[in-house]
Formats: sequence, structure tokens, C-alpha cells
Amino acid sequence: MLSSLGIKIRGAASSAIVGACVLLGGSGHASADVDISGKKVIFVPIAMGISLTEGWARRMREHADIHGYTLDIRDAAFNTGAMSELLAKAITEKPDVLVVHNPTVQLLARQIKQAESEGIKVLQVNLQSNQASSAFVGANWERIGREIAEDIVKECGEGSGKSGKVSIIPGQLTAADSVIMNEAAFKVFEAHPEIEVVSNQASDWEPEKARQITATVLQQHPDLCAVFGHWDVHTMGAGNAVKDAGLADDVLVYATGGGDDVACKAVEDKVLDRVWSYDADGQGRDVGTMVDLLLQGASGADGAMMEVESPMKIIKAGDSYDPDLCWKM
Amino acid sequence: MAERKSMAEAGRRKRNLLEIIVVAVTVALIVIFSVVVDGFATFGNFRVILSNSASLVILSCGMAVVIISRGLDLSLVAVMIAGATTFTIFINADMPVALALLLTVGAMVMIGLANAWLIAYVEIPAMLATLASAMLVVGLFRFAILQGEFLLLLSKTNPAVIALSGDLLPGVSVSAVVMVAALLVTWFLLRGSAAGRTIYAMGDNFQAARLTGLPVRTTTITVYVFAALAALCAGLVMSAASGAVDFRTVTNGTLLFEVILVVVLGGIPLRGGRGGVLNIIIGVALIAVLRNGMTLMNFTAQMQDVLKGLVLIVAIVADNYFNPRDTETDTVGDL
Repeated sequence: MLSSLGIKIRGAASSAIVGACVLLGGSGHASADVDISGKKVIFVPIAMGISLTEGWARRMREHADIHGYTLDIRDAAFNTGAMSELLAKAITEKPDVLVVHNPTVQLLARQIKQAESEGIKVLQVNLQSNQASSAFVGANWERIGREIAEDIVKECGEGSGKSGKVSIIPGQLTAADSVIMNEAAFKVFEAHPEIEVVSNQASDWEPEKARQITATVLQQHPDLCAVFGHWDVHTMGAGNAVKDAGLADDVLVYATGGGDDVACKAVEDKVLDRVWSYDADGQGRDVGTMVDLLLQGASGADGAMMEVESPMKIIKAGDSYDPDLCWKM
Repeated sequence: MAERKSMAEAGRRKRNLLEIIVVAVTVALIVIFSVVVDGFATFGNFRVILSNSASLVILSCGMAVVIISRGLDLSLVAVMIAGATTFTIFINADMPVALALLLTVGAMVMIGLANAWLIAYVEIPAMLATLASAMLVVGLFRFAILQGEFLLLLSKTNPAVIALSGDLLPGVSVSAVVMVAALLVTWFLLRGSAAGRTIYAMGDNFQAARLTGLPVRTTTITVYVFAALAALCAGLVMSAASGAVDFRTVTNGTLLFEVILVVVLGGIPLRGGRGGVLNIIIGVALIAVLRNGMTLMNFTAQMQDVLKGLVLIVAIVADNYFNPRDTETDTVGDL
């Protein structure tokens, strides 16, 4: 439902962002009709110290510097308990915009609702909650899940001469991206009975757990055709298990991620084969622009959530491989 | 005299009961998985179990020696990740592998020495000293050395990584060899050295060991430096295999509890003084077989936690039934 809602307003939001970019690009200095200097923005990511959030923060800081508003980052350091507390504290500080990176669809839903009811605009980044808010900027997980599944069907399905066996490694089964991607992928696989999902076990986003799961699954299914990891970082553990088993040429390793240079290096090293990148650097700019707009009073039609879908870059090993598809911090 | 001997034998029987129960549960699981799970009873899967358990076994060697001496090392996983981080930074900077390893060993020995000094000379309880040093090490490495990074990736093309994650001989992985070496060194330390006798004496009755003039302080240094080096070996094996050093391994906390669980479940009581290498193998065998079987059956992580908890409760309840508490076993920390 959120996806269809997004489609309806995506055009309007994108136009507004393009307009804002033109405004910003027109002069070397920031300018806006509404003065947003001195306003307060708080960003609560799942964790800093990973390229994804560091990439977003770098672009958000640029926007904050241009417009003169403050950006505070509260690092939850992968601790969901700490994240709820940080968000509760942030709400009491009454920022103008709260930027939230949801670890699961449920965890922060009540607090997002509370913040919105108190007049704080909440921008959700990349991972959506069940609770709608003022805006969302991020990847279209349904599209990624569907496209990767379709690619797997093409490579492993009927007529491919492969077993059709697939191992899925979500981060967490309740994380928004994993929920949506799995739903989309299974919908595709249902129409292709030759595809058999032999394993669907979460790695808690850890490369070592992904490696152990994959090494075990490969023993049981040496004819495995593809591994679909829900994040490039933990999927590298799975890719290393495939490589160590000497099956790098037989098993395709799919992943999604922010598309920094580490992902390209992994493709070059044959640890990953195909990465659906949502370009964290570009997302960071979209987030910064959306914050600017929210601070200027932008809102969706009839209070609907404004939504910006991140364009995809598909990084594939082989002749079409282009290292420029990745960004560097 | 004969009466005393029979009492001692009865005590040994009781002490061994948990081990027997854990072995019985492990064997039962192996039989069930072999029948039910396709691909479980194969040589390839046995190799996977060994390679997936290598770091857990090596860590358990360090923790077992510490616990037998009536200590506890909560910094073990932090030191493991710190060691892997140090080594990775050095080899990523193209430092010769031997020099990188030497410097890393030196750094980890320093951490072990710091732990031992706090415990043996400042006389801070081991649990608090190692908890504090774990926090210090993680904080220092994450913010001062890695500048906030959570993950450090290793290139699988690096010769050191290839060597650590490859096979020494066809079918014999380096991680399995390091694991066996760790078990042998632990066995020698506990059973073949003078320090080993002191370690058991310290665990049995620390004050008596000290009063009889045994070198408890220098032995404490041996114990915590050994644990730090074991942690380093585990870190190298784990990070070379997965191609990443991941600080969430420390912050998640599950690995540390798993290590303590392996040691205690294998039959080494938290009050120390008893146990050995066999107990480590028994404890790891149960956890490794359980984890492998459930992964092959495609159980979700949540379901795996539920079943792991159930099996452990069954083992502990069975032990309590066959081995009721008495004045000898009813000690703080004992199962």
C-alpha cells in the first residue's frame, strides 16, 4: 500500500526536489524563500561507522552547512534498546525534523507516531516503519526483491540447466527491507515451481554468520544455483564461503547495498556476482534535499507521506562491469 | 581408608554425570539428525562442523583455563576482535605477515598482562577487571583506531588471508589445524606444566594455594596472557574465513555467552578447579551439532534459539535429577 501511495506522490516530490536543486545550483550559495537557518534536525541511525550511514551523514551535513541549520547525529551503535531511548530523548528536544533509520518495521512505530502528533516532522530513511510519517527517502525494496528474483529465475530456472536451488540470507526477518524483499521474491518464485528456496535464514547482518550458514547449506546442496543476501556486507561472508568451497563459478551471489567502492571490490574479487545498489551517496543528497524541503514547510497532498525512490544501479561482474558505478567516501 | 576411596569415587561419578548426559544428548542428536536430515551424516558436513566450530573451540580453550583457575575473562571476545583488527590493519598496510603477526601478538600479550595485573596485583575481581578492559579495548579500537568504523574488510587475495582460510593438506583446513593445536597447547598447559598444577590448586582453593607458597600471581599472568593469545588465534581464524572483522560480534554479546556455556556445559564448574580439554570438546560438540542440524533443517534464527534453549534446559534438568545438590556441589556458580 505504501508503495502505491509512493507512486502517486513520487512525481510531485521528485519535481519539488528537482526545483530545489535548481534553486541551490543557481548560485554558489544557498538560498530559499523561507529562512531555515537555526532550525534543528536530529538524525538517529541504526549505527554510524558503516559506509551507508556515513555516506548519508556526509551529504546531510553539506546541506545543513549550506542552509545554516543544525544536524545532530545520535548513534545507536546497533543497539535497538539504545535506539528507542535516543529517539525518546530526541523527541523531548522538539527538533524541527527527525530523521530515522528503522531497524524493524515495528520497533519505532509508536515513537514516530508520537513525534508526528507533537508536530515534529519525521523523515524515514531507506528502511520504513509500519507507521507512516511526513516523508520517506529510500530504496524500493519491492522492486529490488522482484528484480533479483526475476534474475535468479532467468539464471537458475527452466532451460538454464541449473538446479533451481536458492539460498536466501536476510539480515533480520523483521527488518523492513528483508520483509519486503522476501515477500516480492517469493511472489516471483511461486510462479516458477522449478525454483526451490532451500534455506532462508537470517544472519543478524553479520558476515561470519552468513558464512557459516552458507558453508553448511553448500554441503547439503552442492548444486546450489544462487545465494540472495539482503545486504552486501553480510553477503560477503556468504560469498567467501562459496569461494572457499571452490564454487565461485557455479553459484551466483546476489546482494543489495549502498554501492560504495567496497561492493565493487567484492565484485572484482568474485566474492559477489551481482549487486543491486541504491547508491547511498545519492540517497544522502536526496535526504538532505528532503530535510531542506520539510524545514521549508513542504508536505504531501492531504497529509500523505512524501516519498522519494532511490534510483538503482546494478553492478554485475563480467563484460558490463563498470567500477564507476560505485562511490567512494 | 577404603571408605574414603569409595566416597572419592562417588564424587568423581557425580562430577562426570553432566558430561555423560551432555555426551548422551549429543549422540542422540547425531542419530536423529542422521536419520531425519538429508546431508547431515557426510564427511563434507563433518568438515563444515569442524571449520564452523574452530573459533568457538579456540576461544573456549582460553576461557576454560581462566575458569579452572577460578577466574572469568569477559574481555575474551573483545580481545579476539581487537587482535583481528590489529593484524588486519597491519597486513592491509602491506606489512610483512611475520612482522604483523609479531606486533599483534605483542599487543595482545599487553592486554593479557593488563588484565592479569588488575586481577593479581590490584586485586580487582576478575569479572569486573575484564568487563572494564573489554569496554576499554572496544572503545579504543572503534573510536581511536578505526575512527568509528564497525567493520573492517579483509581482501581474500591477501596471502595471509589465503593461508589462514585455506587447506594445509587436501581435506585438512588451517582452521582445523589451529583448533587442534589450541587443544594440545591447552592440554599441555593444564596437565603437562607446573603452571597447570598451580591453576588447578588456585581453582580448588585459592587461599590455600597462596598460603602454601604457590606462585599464584605469576600463574594468573600466565592464565590471562594465554587467554588473550587464544582469543587472537580465534580472531584470525574467524576473520580470515568471513573476510571481515566485525565489532558487532562483541556488542551483540552472544558469542561470549556461548563460550561460557560451552565451558560450563562441558562440565567445568564456574567455581574452577576441575575439568580439562575433554570437557571443552564435549561442550562444543553439543552446540556445534545442534547448530549444524538446525541450519540444515532451515530453521529460522528464532526457532534455533528456542530449540537450543530447550536442549540445554533438558541437559541441566537431567543433571539435577541424577545429581541432586549436596553440600559439596551447592556452590555459587555451580550448575
